[in-house]
Amino acid sequence: MLSFVGLGLWDERSVTVEGREILRNADRVFAEFYTSRLMGTDAASLAAHHGVEIEVRDRAGVEQNPDPVLAAAEDGHAVFLTAGDTMISTTHVDLRLRAHERDIDTRVVHGTTASAAAASLTGLQNYRFGKATTLPFPYAHGGEGVPASVSDAIDTNRDRGLHTLVYLDIKQTRAEYMRADMAAGLLVDGYEDALGVAVCRAGSPDPRVEADRLSALAEGSFGDPLHLLVIPGDLHHVEADALRTLAGAPDDITEPR
Amino acid sequence: MGRRKKIVQECETLMDAPDQIRNIAIAAHVDHGKTTLTDNLLAGAGMISDETAGEQLAMDTEEDEQERGITIDAANVSMTHEYEDENHLINLIDTPGHVDFGGDVTRAMRAVDGALVVVDAVEGAMPQTETVLRQALREGVKPALFINKVDRLISELQEGPEEMQQRLQSVIADVNDLIRGMTEDMDDVGDWTVSIQDGTVGMGSALYKWGISFPSMQRTGMDFGDIIELERADKRQELHERTPLSDVVLDMVCEHFPDPLGAQPRRIPRVWRGDAESDLATDMRDVDPDGEVVLMVTDIGVDPHAGEIAAGRVFSGTIEKGQELYVSGTVGTNRVQSVGIYMGGEREEVDRVPAGNIAAVTGLKDAIAGSTVSSVEMTPFESIEHISEPVITKSVEAKNMDDLPKLIETLRQVSKEDPTIRIEINEDTGEHLISGQGELHLEVITQRIERNQGIPVITGEPIVVYREAPTSESREVEGISPNRHNRFYMSLEPLDDEIVEQLQLGEATMDMPELERREALMDAGLDKDTAQNVEHIHGTNILVDDTKGIQHLNETMELVIEGLEEALNDGPLAAEPVRGALLRLHDARLHEDAIHRGPAQVIPATRDAVHTALMDAGVRLLEPIQDVRIDVPNEHMGAASGEIQGRRGRVDDMYQEGDLMVVEGIAPVDEMIGFSSDIRSATEGRASWNTENAGFRVMADNLQPETITRIRERKGMKTELPEQIDYF
Ligand SMILES: Nc1nc2c(ncn2[C@@H]2O[C@H](COP(=O)(O)OP(=O)(O)O)[C@@H](O)[C@H]2O)c(=O)[nH]1
Ligand SMILES: [Mg+2]
Repeated sequence: MLSFVGLGLWDERSVTVEGREILRNADRVFAEFYTSRLMGTDAASLAAHHGVEIEVRDRAGVEQNPDPVLAAAEDGHAVFLTAGDTMISTTHVDLRLRAHERDIDTRVVHGTTASAAAASLTGLQNYRFGKATTLPFPYAHGGEGVPASVSDAIDTNRDRGLHTLVYLDIKQTRAEYMRADMAAGLLVDGYEDALGVAVCRAGSPDPRVEADRLSALAEGSFGDPLHLLVIPGDLHHVEADALRTLAGAPDDITEPR
Repeated sequence: MGRRKKIVQECETLMDAPDQIRNIAIAAHVDHGKTTLTDNLLAGAGMISDETAGEQLAMDTEEDEQERGITIDAANVSMTHEYEDENHLINLIDTPGHVDFGGDVTRAMRAVDGALVVVDAVEGAMPQTETVLRQALREGVKPALFINKVDRLISELQEGPEEMQQRLQSVIADVNDLIRGMTEDMDDVGDWTVSIQDGTVGMGSALYKWGISFPSMQRTGMDFGDIIELERADKRQELHERTPLSDVVLDMVCEHFPDPLGAQPRRIPRVWRGDAESDLATDMRDVDPDGEVVLMVTDIGVDPHAGEIAAGRVFSGTIEKGQELYVSGTVGTNRVQSVGIYMGGEREEVDRVPAGNIAAVTGLKDAIAGSTVSSVEMTPFESIEHISEPVITKSVEAKNMDDLPKLIETLRQVSKEDPTIRIEINEDTGEHLISGQGELHLEVITQRIERNQGIPVITGEPIVVYREAPTSESREVEGISPNRHNRFYMSLEPLDDEIVEQLQLGEATMDMPELERREALMDAGLDKDTAQNVEHIHGTNILVDDTKGIQHLNETMELVIEGLEEALNDGPLAAEPVRGALLRLHDARLHEDAIHRGPAQVIPATRDAVHTALMDAGVRLLEPIQDVRIDVPNEHMGAASGEIQGRRGRVDDMYQEGDLMVVEGIAPVDEMIGFSSDIRSATEGRASWNTENAGFRVMADNLQPETITRIRERKGMKTELPEQIDYF
């Protein structure tokens, strides 16, 4: 049996009660923190908190050599942990498919995830989000500036009046996390006057949400990671109210259309 | 005013009169007398004293050259010569005679408009005569012939006028055959064959400093009979005084070699691929001293005081101190610290060097041999064509740890001076690799590091550089990224030899405008659709993108290319470079989000696809081979041919030439290591020999596994062969 358990957004207490019970009762507990991590804790504290041993696997240990995980799931009950939700914005459906190829039963225990937090913290309606995209560090995608896939996603969404959730690159092994001001700075070219919403430390006790022109966000400073950026499309009047009230958006750019 | 100072001043005046300038090189088979002749010309022009010419060897400036008696680095000299009442400035670039240094020869040729081909009258045209001639003609450089050592025909071989005539005619005929063959397909030149009647052939003795040509006979009234008489009577000094060699040769240079004004309009289209309609093209064709500065660097030398000196041909503009110039392949500009011209082994600083001349420039810290240096950013000159790729490698380590930083710096310097040398720095192990054209080439370089830089080094055994090449078409294979969300579908075909050769010569590169590249590839035999879809060229390998409209592929292509290059640099058999593979990308499946198709995913996926395709295409190890020619007395002929056959070689021909037997054949470079001492002892030192790199050959199947295992062991790789390789 292989259970995928999402740990939620912030620290050892962000997991659901069901997730907590499953992971405490598992025979083996695996985790990966290269796609994202819990900023409010670390693997050792997490293990101590739950009283289990956690085997953290790197990218190669998940993608190229998942055998130990699958073998443990064949022998007993294995749990695979990630921050957020195990299936959202990661590529772990591949691991689940490999388990099925080996006739291993699987289940998914959800965790709350950044895409949910983006809607819930900003007041932007989840119905009105279009395609999401990730903005990589310029050195990491082999080109310069913003990859076409990012601007394509934003443009297509905006054409249809939809919001774009922009995930920001994480280089876990180098402890590098792109911040909202840097992201806004990368996007200023082409979207200078567009409205952006920085969503920072979602899931923590003191999240921060700030809406302004990208050119202004690029000059800002939003504290510790992790951050997200939302590029709103057309605003419903309640959405506009929410951005002004909850995120300090300037009046002149949040007039509902 | 000293004589030297006066010559410098003369040169400075002449620099501004391009019609009175000749830029020339002397090219010859080793020992045919290039250095001796050069000294003579310098003496004739008053650059060195008459008495010591022939012993002084002014051009052999590096200590190791004088010791070995061969010329290694192309050096530069300028001299003046009066011809038909007009003073001329002659810029002469010396070229190495040993074929191990072929890169230097090609580079020297780019800077000159005329090549004086020197051939030993006794030996006749030799393999390297052919090589250097080809290098000259390829660059659009006009040839003239000087037949040297004619004194030996008279005094040693005791030949009469008739025999001599015959011999000289046959040398001329041989050289003309070569010229005709090589210029056949060049539509930008007319008849470049040489003849005594036209005055494009000179004859004489560089050692005894006399010479003769059709015009000189008319001028001095001295004919062959007079010469034979004086030479036989040992009256060489009189011969020299009555018909001095330098006049014969320098007159020929002034009369028959084009000046920059005549040469550049023809040569620029041949050596520069930029926009022919641009102002820059006009500046260069017109040799315009007021145009933009364009300098083609042919050589980097080091002066203990001035530091690095870039020498090269000024094609347009005027180089002056303080100019900020662009160096091709680097960002920003370099500031010119000083400019000068050459005199023997020395450099003379001058205020300015205008178009048409050879200049020595300091301050160009980013320049390497082959760089284009200019006052505006421009299409660089065609990459210098390396006729041979490195075939042999040696490890170099500093004996003392303290010397490590200095050694690294020196190695970098060496590869700047000689781009046919490749350097691989390994700061972790301290064991650096240096690759070059042959055993001697590397020996010279390492000795230079030890002696000139005073760094004691330990060198490893020479190691042959192999290649890996496909032998058949592959099926379509799949490369999967580690996260399995990205897939690439490729197939592979071996490229025809013709195309491989064109790629190696740099006839089709990614630097060229697309249309031209496509045409060059189609000329070499690639079909139109394929040529149209060429996405990348790496070494002698091509990537063709046959996909249509795949979303996100564009922004992923850089990573695909990175993975491809990694796979081709280190082939699947033994991590040796891959040669002659055409890869077709048929399809790709990509993850929607850029983060899940980053370098960690795409590079391994393409690398795997390329290696799998290579294995499916029956990849085999190729080894470099050499043409070998041995001249040996009859009684040692058996021993000489045995030396070739005993080295997995093949003897192709044996024939009599004069009183010697000539043995010709081929042998693998690997087996040729240590040849020089073996042949000496096998023939009691009576053999003279010559080798020339002759490309690569597939190794016999029964030798493949053991060679691959040996290389893998040496590189610290797993020794079991990759799966799917089946030799039997
Ligand atoms: N007899 C004779 N020997 C010559 C003549 N020119 C050069 N040599 C000798 O040939 C050898 C090679 O000459 P060198 O100038 O070093 O040849 P390079 O290798 O082409 O530079 C030297 O021993 C010279 O003295 C010549 O005209 N006559
Ligand atoms: Mg010499």
